[in-house]
Amino acid sequence: MSKSINISALNIGYDKKNILTNINLTSNEGKMIGVFGRNGQGKSTLLKTISGLLPPISGQFYFDKINVLALSEKERAKLLSIVSTTQSGIGAITVKDYVAFGRFPYTNWLGINKAKDYQEINKAIELCKLQDFANRNYDELSDGEKQKVNIARAIAQNTPLIILDEPTVHLDLINKVEVFKLLKELVKTHNKTVIISTHQMEYALQICDEIWLINEGKVESLSPSEIIEKEKLTALFNDDLIHFDKASQSFRLK
Amino acid sequence: MDQPSNKIKFTLITLFIGTLIFFGLDLFLGSVHIPFHKIVSILFGHAPEKESWQIIIFQSRLPRAFSAVLCGSALSVCGLQMQTLFRNPLAGPYILGISSGAGLGVAIFIMGISFLGISATGINIPTNEGIIVASILGSLGVLAILLSVIKRLKDIMTVLILGIMIGSVITAIIGIIQYFSHDAQLKSFIMWTMGNLNAVTNDQLMLLTPIVFIGVTLSFIASKNLNAYLLGEAYAKSLGVNIKRSRIVIILITSVLTGSITAFCGPIGFIGIVVPHLARMLSNSSDHRILTPLTVLLGINILLISDIISQLPGLDQNLPLNSITSLIGIPFIIWIILKNKKIANLN
Repeated sequence: MSKSINISALNIGYDKKNILTNINLTSNEGKMIGVFGRNGQGKSTLLKTISGLLPPISGQFYFDKINVLALSEKERAKLLSIVSTTQSGIGAITVKDYVAFGRFPYTNWLGINKAKDYQEINKAIELCKLQDFANRNYDELSDGEKQKVNIARAIAQNTPLIILDEPTVHLDLINKVEVFKLLKELVKTHNKTVIISTHQMEYALQICDEIWLINEGKVESLSPSEIIEKEKLTALFNDDLIHFDKASQSFRLK
Repeated sequence: MDQPSNKIKFTLITLFIGTLIFFGLDLFLGSVHIPFHKIVSILFGHAPEKESWQIIIFQSRLPRAFSAVLCGSALSVCGLQMQTLFRNPLAGPYILGISSGAGLGVAIFIMGISFLGISATGINIPTNEGIIVASILGSLGVLAILLSVIKRLKDIMTVLILGIMIGSVITAIIGIIQYFSHDAQLKSFIMWTMGNLNAVTNDQLMLLTPIVFIGVTLSFIASKNLNAYLLGEAYAKSLGVNIKRSRIVIILITSVLTGSITAFCGPIGFIGIVVPHLARMLSNSSDHRILTPLTVLLGINILLISDIISQLPGLDQNLPLNSITSLIGIPFIIWIILKNKKIANLN
């Protein structure tokens, strides 16, 4: 059973300055949701707000009938995990220890992992195929590897909802596809709900069940086929340079 | 990450033994020669051969060595927490101007009150408590300024420059206060700025010991949250850390520790930056549950050694401790900067 998502009358922005107003989205079936929009339209702001990183100006976000934005950090950490672009310079931390951070909400004051925690950590490492460099330092990895470690950390956090903000930036083509396939597997076989913002729209259309399209201050929920049929992406860019070709489902230069 | 490796256990034990040895050496060395076995027997409460020996041990050397222990552990732990909190490998209580803030508090307390025409004793402020509170308020003030602007300053070097600017402004203000103060007050303040473990009295130690003990214990308890800070604030928050609360707790711990140590021992530089780096190098770990105890023990050892150097045989007078820690610390910091080419891009 997929978990329902309900966003109602949500106004988001920084310092009382609205970026998007009156967002209303309901999703009962969508398990992998792509968030599309041009730069500066509010994709990140929306994801930060529903992740609890940024307080909303007003409005609600319910996941599985739980009022997410009213939870404490600790409670929220068991409901949703986040992945954004990778960071560097975090110090001497091995991949295994990095993934182990996912168990943070479940461990005692000193952060001691128990058998169950190790089970989750190892499961996440296997799922993301990180066994070969589990003992290497996180800082030494390539961006693609780092991002998989980040996703493994989110998996170890064992939350029903995973929110990813442009996780495939800086990754090469194969790494991008691997990340998308991994996320799809989480949705299909591990019953997770995934919300992912991305500019990799051509792949996302093939893999997502639902798209939230942000354009000119409005957010609407559409199926991938609706996006294609109604030529929403050509409209999104509204530009002389490119259009979205229905037949090949890809962008073409004009 | 959960079970400290044998190498780390060995390092901790070695450092603990080092602490005992250097503590003993610090008691042994001084302008008056007292045989070591006599010192031990005096410590165990046996009557001394000479009355003066007992006074030297209990009124001078023991408080001094204890001050080194408190000072070394507190300042090092502060440096570790600030480096993680500011995500800045060069953060420390001295370089960011926190010690200067404490100094301003002390300057106002020692000299400023009379500048306003009131004497501290006249209005009946208990001097020790007064100095400590003034010092803590001073360091808290600087930390608050730094944190209020840190969001806008992403670059590590900018934060450091800001810290140095704050330090300079404070020095200027202190200069003005000095200009208007009496000779005796001026002298006691100048002595204080040199950093001096000799001046710490037993009364002050009674005040300082519980503060440092509680501060260092709380720092250890904060280890789990500090570890999450390594991933950056957004990830830390998503893992369940209450960022606002834990940040306030860390700021309070560092201000109270820096403030109270600085109040009685004077500003002691660079220990806070250097020791956490040494701890990371020794353990090859970024885990605060390992780094905190390691930093405490290393800090104690280095300060005891610095104190021993400051009273090397042949010197009638003690060298200023702050000069010793600067001479040890600054080359090390330059080395950190040269080694870490990406230091400016760490954010």
